[in-house]
Amino acid sequence: MTKPFRFGVQISQCESASAWRDKARKLEDLGYSTLFMPDHFGEELAPLPAIAMAAAHTTTLRIGALVFDNDYKHPAILAKESATIDVLCDGRLELGVGAGWMKTDYDALGLQYDPPAVRVDRFEEALHVIKQCFTGEKFTYHGEHYRITDYASYPKPAQAHLPILVGGGGKRVLSIAAREADIVGVNPNLRAGEIGLEAATDSLQDQTDRKIGWIRDAAGKRIDDIEIQMRFFICKVTDDRMKLAKAMAPGFGVSPEEALASGAALVGTETEIIEQLHERRERWGLSYVIVGDDNIDEFAPIVAKVTGT
Amino acid sequence: MHDRRFRFAVIAPKCGSGKELTEQARKAEALGYSTFFVPDHFIEHDLAPTVALAHIAAVTDTLRVGPLVLGNDYKHPVVLAREMATLDLLSDGRLELGIGAGWMTADYEKAGIPLDRPGVRIARLAESIAVLKGLFADGPFSFGGEHYRITELDGMPKPVQRPGPPFLIGGGGKKILGLAAREAQIVGINANLRSGEGESRETAQSLVPAATDQKLAWLREAAGDRFDDLEIQTLLGFVHVTNDASGIVKAIAQSFDVSEDDAQLAPATLVGSRDGIAELLERRRERWQMSYIVVPVEATETLAPVVARLAGT
Repeated sequence: MTKPFRFGVQISQCESASAWRDKARKLEDLGYSTLFMPDHFGEELAPLPAIAMAAAHTTTLRIGALVFDNDYKHPAILAKESATIDVLCDGRLELGVGAGWMKTDYDALGLQYDPPAVRVDRFEEALHVIKQCFTGEKFTYHGEHYRITDYASYPKPAQAHLPILVGGGGKRVLSIAAREADIVGVNPNLRAGEIGLEAATDSLQDQTDRKIGWIRDAAGKRIDDIEIQMRFFICKVTDDRMKLAKAMAPGFGVSPEEALASGAALVGTETEIIEQLHERRERWGLSYVIVGDDNIDEFAPIVAKVTGT
Repeated sequence: MHDRRFRFAVIAPKCGSGKELTEQARKAEALGYSTFFVPDHFIEHDLAPTVALAHIAAVTDTLRVGPLVLGNDYKHPVVLAREMATLDLLSDGRLELGIGAGWMTADYEKAGIPLDRPGVRIARLAESIAVLKGLFADGPFSFGGEHYRITELDGMPKPVQRPGPPFLIGGGGKKILGLAAREAQIVGINANLRSGEGESRETAQSLVPAATDQKLAWLREAAGDRFDDLEIQTLLGFVHVTNDASGIVKAIAQSFDVSEDDAQLAPATLVGSRDGIAELLERRRERWQMSYIVVPVEATETLAPVVARLAGT
């Protein structure tokens, strides 16, 4: 089942209260669906208060983290905070959450960087806890990592079904996402703990095909209910896509054509990009397109033409 | 040196919608309240404070915002530092950072967070405050404590207020007030909550004037020369404006087991006529230097004339 296109922007920084308000309103005015913020401990703002403020400054813009790292907070706390945002913005939150991957974040917090299998186990438990919290009903959950006792989370989210976004690049996380999430983010595999060559080559077309295969296998009939999302780190509206492709190609270790077809790139004229989006929706089911802060203006005409189609 | 002029705040644990919270916040701002506080618990009806404060800051211009108070054990201080600095940045410097050692047993049990004994919780809070201040300051920060280890981390973003937002630390015991005396700009003189419950008899008893004298003595002793710089805050649990206060005062006196005058003076309640209330607040400021008065949000309008009369004086 083909899903209509929508667009989001991932933003990590802002210098003042008024600039943040203006940016949130601009995204809304330009027809972007969602403002997302990453969750890291470098130069980024804290997503939680920032998205709550963006929501308070707008009326229809959706907001979310892309994605909250499960290991920074107890899931009952994240659930309560998420539900509070959802209530205060009348149901505009998309809860993105992941198992955590960036090694430097763990170092910054002095947190133990467990092997991927442990982080993903913990994340699976957390998803269960979060979903139980959202029911508002009293529950008990005694897992390996979390022990919740006779707890009814408050408030209940405003949305009867608050969309959960899970992103990943490995088979296990994508399979969990396919079973549990409403929005599945198809990312590079970040088991290396940092963005490097492995992450770049892992977003090439063949690798992306393989990931979509995993999602379809794990989702079964659910596939029709899932939105497929991709964050395009290389976005450029340009009349000369080959020039950029040639510059990009060595970074991927592939030909310029292969670089352009990668699941991380969205490069070309307006018409070429729109064409590419349709091809990718056909091939991968991609309908939820995320660009960066720098791309807001250049992608605005595409957003206006393609959103909802 | 703090000038001891009165200012007032409201505290709102619950709220049905963004629209309602927006109205409450704008009303408090318009009526001359200085600050809007939100508590931090997992029990029913409490909102998540960071989110609610972000919303309040976004829909107001001058109203200050703060958690009263964050439970230190719920989040890692690096996570807290970044959230609080973001809130300060995106509110143009209107944050008051209330933080406490955590006390409500039910919070910990329900979420499965280990509840250590008070001494450990307070020691951890002291480390957390050092981490927060270190991350708010310029440049990379390292810290090797019992509970937290930070290596060469430059906290981002930096808060707008320099060197950081004012710290608000409240408590009723000697240890926590000692910590507040050393680290805070605003000190909340609260009930002693070691019983882990807000409404126990022990909690109530810790609020009577003699007990409050003791708390101020601890604070004064620990603060030394800093005492004159501290702003002293009190949180009112019950406000009732009436020309016939005697019945209510009698009931409070009985439940606290103290004289009626003591019952009226105890800083957790405010019962009397408008003139009587203003006079009580003056007496409390005289005796305990309490100039920062936090009232339940339901009393926002009722107390507005008192706020108009006393704020800034």
